[in-house]
Parts: sequence; structure tokens; C-alpha cells
Amino acid sequence: MRRVLVTHVESPVGRRVVKALFHDPDVSLVVGLGTRPEPTFLAPYRGKIAYQRIDLAKSRHLQSFLHSERFARVRPDSVIHLPFAVEHSQERVPGGVPSLVSETRRLVEESVEQRCIERFVYLSSAFVYDPVPGNGNVVSESQGLGFDGDGDALVRAWIDADLVCQGELHGSNLRMTILRAATIVTETGEFLNSPPLSHPEAPLGYDPMLAVVSDRDVARALVLALHADRPGVYNIAGREVFPRSQLGAPPPSSLFGVGAAWLERLVRRAPAPGRSFDRYGMVPSGRLAHETLGFEPQYRIEVRGLGALRRIDTVRCR
Amino acid sequence: MSRDELPSPGPSLGSDPFGQGDGTLPYLIRLRERNMRVVAKPVSRRARSEPREQPQEPPDLGPPVPELPSFDDRDESASALDRLAGLALSSSDEERLAQLVQSIGGRPYDEFGLSPRVTRRALAFFKLLYRYWFRVTSSGHSVIPEKEGAILAANHGGLLPFDASMIIVDGVLAPKPPRMVRTVVDRWAGTLPFVNVFYARVGQVMGSRDNVRELLRANQLVLIFPEGMAGVRKRAAERYVLQPFHLGFVEESLRHRVPIIPVAVVGADDQAPVLWDVQPLAKLLGLPFFPITPTFPLLGLAGLVPYPVRYEIAYGEPFRFYDEFPPEALEDPHAVRYMAERVRRRIQEMVDQRVLARRSKRA
Repeated sequence: MRRVLVTHVESPVGRRVVKALFHDPDVSLVVGLGTRPEPTFLAPYRGKIAYQRIDLAKSRHLQSFLHSERFARVRPDSVIHLPFAVEHSQERVPGGVPSLVSETRRLVEESVEQRCIERFVYLSSAFVYDPVPGNGNVVSESQGLGFDGDGDALVRAWIDADLVCQGELHGSNLRMTILRAATIVTETGEFLNSPPLSHPEAPLGYDPMLAVVSDRDVARALVLALHADRPGVYNIAGREVFPRSQLGAPPPSSLFGVGAAWLERLVRRAPAPGRSFDRYGMVPSGRLAHETLGFEPQYRIEVRGLGALRRIDTVRCR
Repeated sequence: MSRDELPSPGPSLGSDPFGQGDGTLPYLIRLRERNMRVVAKPVSRRARSEPREQPQEPPDLGPPVPELPSFDDRDESASALDRLAGLALSSSDEERLAQLVQSIGGRPYDEFGLSPRVTRRALAFFKLLYRYWFRVTSSGHSVIPEKEGAILAANHGGLLPFDASMIIVDGVLAPKPPRMVRTVVDRWAGTLPFVNVFYARVGQVMGSRDNVRELLRANQLVLIFPEGMAGVRKRAAERYVLQPFHLGFVEESLRHRVPIIPVAVVGADDQAPVLWDVQPLAKLLGLPFFPITPTFPLLGLAGLVPYPVRYEIAYGEPFRFYDEFPPEALEDPHAVRYMAERVRRRIQEMVDQRVLARRSKRA
């Protein structure tokens, strides 16, 4: 029976994970960590799930928790860390993006120190990969990471945190599993984990393909990784792939539109476009996760309409 | 309020290390929650799992109201291009195309960006080129597997890749059953605006090992030009002389145990003979080569239109190196080079036969 520590439970994926673990007969206790007051959605699950308000970015908070009576009683043997399953906006990350890297590093180090913790499942992003030129490219786990630095701050933070966790893949007593998820779609149609969708306009002549995956499937993959005991790196992707224009704002359809977009950008002094993610598509191959973890997406993402009339539905596969 | 109505206190985990000193706040929170709980009584897990009501037959309300146009009108309605494509494609072509796009499994796009709708439009246009501009004749379709994956290795020529498009159209129209040929294109093409999107929508993929592996695992036909860019920029004097081959296609064939089918294309080298490759200008413009042809750049972009030469496509007997060589041969560069050379020579023979026959016919 596992005793699991789940970070960032207030995030959309965190909610799904907590609910999945609650119904998991092999999990006896879940302690959810979050920075906000206890979320109301946890109320029906109190019999098995406890909540602890803690800011992992602050070393003092983490130390106090690890040396508390509560932690001694819980003695978790597994950690599910979800630092980046938030909306793709730096403003929404309290403390800034670098704090997410430092909290990941701190949590990994403390997990190694705490002998009771055996497994560590970390949710990363597929956008850590180095994009290959082209509209749609399948990338496997062996693809190199994008170190060229043309990504934004959040992508660089993903890469840094991914490297921190990769450092524990071999050699320590911690059994580390890294899941690199494609663009996550929540039940309400929001996108998480997706830098290309953070910019409202794309360079003219490019419309990269993006893989999407339901947040329920991501939660399922995390639980599978928790139980599978197969350390390594796995891509998590759903069945569907869509061009960026269908998920985000449509690309400029005329040169006037391009000019207006540039003018707006100059006025706002936003960085110029040209990130590889805005031009080149990347579809993570979920083959390894399927073969090793037994992960098979159970939800389809349906996108209808364009622009303001766009509607995104998550439909369970038959 | 009885004790049974109170919410579950949760697991006993000791004191909260971040609890308030006077304990007032947690008490107030608990009090508020208990009050809220009284209004909304907690439902036991067993009660929640049981269906509240038995499913009933829907009442008879008469015939359903016709559905109003959905949000997806722009995608579902046939545009002018779709209607034009319908004029160019026969019913049998449509059936063949429908068979091909079944492999996507009803999805609007596959992993590489293939769109059945754009493919249909493109097929209508390139079918006209296939029939009336290049007047393609093809032979040897029996070697193309019906379902299994294979690598088609072809010679490359011409300024623009019409040889690839003619092989793709031939794959749709000629063999039984039809096969979708997925061409591996140079990465440089993937950086070009509009071109990269069009290539992906009609099923072409960029040249990366992951892409090729994924296609072969999915039992697709993968068309590779092992000469690479050297085949396109060779001068008119070197027409139909195959350039040295890259070796990746042999490695993938051995790794995935798929046959290599040699494909000879005659006509592509005549469609736009390159007189000179101005490399300094190419470097200045960031292009892999800058060709001078009899019509380009003299006539501007119109000079890129290919000459209406006759095309001939021939499929040869497949090479199954994985049966001839042990798996360790994959690690031996000399063995791989030898296999690639055998394929190159075979394609050269096929091309030479057809070029000679064509010349003697003219004579």
C-alpha cells in the first residue's frame, strides 16, 4: 500500500491525480501539498487524503514539513511532483518561473535524503525537446533537449528541472520516472503546458502540429508510472494532433494582418517572433509509455470551429 | 446535529506544522465547513456509486428536429476548391482515396499533419499533371506490398520535386490496393513558410530518423531519395547519372526488416535541366543551390514551370537485405555501404534501360 505525496494539488492535473489516487486500492494515504488554502474539492476525499499548505519554493517551509510530526506519521514512500501543470503564463506562477526549478531541485534532494521515499514521478513537458524543422515531426524520448536558448523562460525552466530529475535516473536509491506530456487539455477546454499557444499570433506561413492529451489521461499516466516501477523517461500524448491555428488564434490571413500584428508587438515592446515552437511542429511519440507503462489514452479531444466559436470537448473513447 | 452527520475528520496525521499559534483560524475554518456540511450532507461512497434512478425509456416526442448548422460549418461545407477537386476526380479515385485515409482512423490529421481534405484537393491537381502534362506510364506495381511497409528508393532529378509527386499519385491511382506514399523531404524544405505546411498536409514528412521509424512501424510506404539534394542540383550533362547514396535508408530497412524497392524515374531530369549552380548566390540567399536553367531566372518564377516531358516510373524487384545479412551487419559501415551501392547500381540499370529505349524510339 503506497503513501503518496502529491505537490501542487490545486492545479487541474493535481486534482485529477488526487481523485485517481483516492479510488486506487493500492494507495492507502495521499498528502496533497499546495500553496493556497485547502481547496474545497478535497472535502469529499478526506478519509484518505490530507492537505498541507506549504510553499515548496521556500526552503524553510519544506524543512519544517519534513521534520514535523505530521511527516513522521505519514512517512510517504512516493512523490508525484507537478510543478508546471499550470496555465502557460509566467504571471500566474507566484515567485516566478525560476522558483519552480529551485523547488524541484530542493524536493528531489530532500527525497534522496529521506530514505522512506522510494519513488519519484515528475511531470515534465514535451516542449523540452529540440524542435526539428517541419510542420509535424514525431519525437521519441531519445531526441535531444533544446539547449539553443530560443525558447522562453518557462521552456528553459522545464529543461532545467528536467535535467535535475534526469540526474537521479541512475545512481541514487530514488526510482525516478519522468513523464513528458504534450499540450494538456482540461475539461473546460484550457490548455496547459503549451508554449506555442501562449502567443496569440504565429509567423506567417507556419502552422505547426501540436499533440494534445486530456488531463485525465495525464493523471492516469502518473498513477501508472507510480505503480509500474519502471524508472525512465516517457512521452505522454493523446490520440489527436491538431494544427496550432485550430487550437489557438488563427494565423494572420493577409499581409495587412501581419503588419498589424507587428505594429502591436512594437507598441507593446513584446519580443519578436521566431521561436522554433511557433514554426515547427512536435508530436511526442507515446510508444514507449504504451509498451512499458501500459498507457493508452482513453479520451479523445474534439475541436470544432475556429476563433471565438471554437469549442473543445473531451470525449471518452469507446 | 448528530456525530454521524459530521464530516470525516480525515487521517490522523499529527499537528499541522504551519498551524496558527492560538488555534483560532483552524477552528473557524472547521466551524464554517461543518456549517456548510450541514446544508450539503456528505454522501457516502456506496450511495454515490449506486445509480440514483433507473434508466427509463425516452418519451415519444415525434421525429427529431433537423440539426442546425454546427460550429464546424467552415470545415464541413464544400468550398470551391473541393467542388473543383470533385470535377477532376472520378468515383473510383474517390474510393481509392477513401481507402487510404481510413488508416488515419477518422482523425482530422495524422501525427505528421496529413489532412485528407487537402490531400484530396492536391490529388485532383496532380492527377491532371500526371495524365496530361507528364503523361506518366508506370510498370512493376506487383512488387508493392498490399499492407506491409516498405522503403521506395528512387533517383532524384528536376528542379522542383515533381518526381516525388508523380510517384505519390501513381501510388494512389495505379496499384491495387492503393497505397499512400510518404516522401521523406529535406529538412531545408521544412523551414520554408507555406511549403512546410503544404508538404505536411499532403503526407510528406521531414527527414528525421524518428519520423521514418514511426512510418515504418505503421506499415507505410516511405519514399526516399538517397541521393539527397545532390540529385536535384546535378547539371544537365550529368542527367540520369545517379549521385552517391546516403546510407540511412539501408540502416532503417535492416532495423525494421522492410524491403527496399528500387524505383527508376525517367523524365524528371529533363523537366528543368540545370546549366549552372551559382553557389555564391545560393550562399548569399541562404539556399542549398541557385540553379540557372534555360528558362530560370530568365522568365522569373514562370521559368520554374517544368517542361511537359513524358515520365516513366518503374518499380524493381525488392531487396531484402535482412534475409541475406545477419543483424550485426547494421553496425558494419562497409556492409551498409555495399548494400546501398547494390541498390544504386540496380536503379542505374533500370534508368539506363529506359533512357536507351527512349532514345532509340526517338531515333
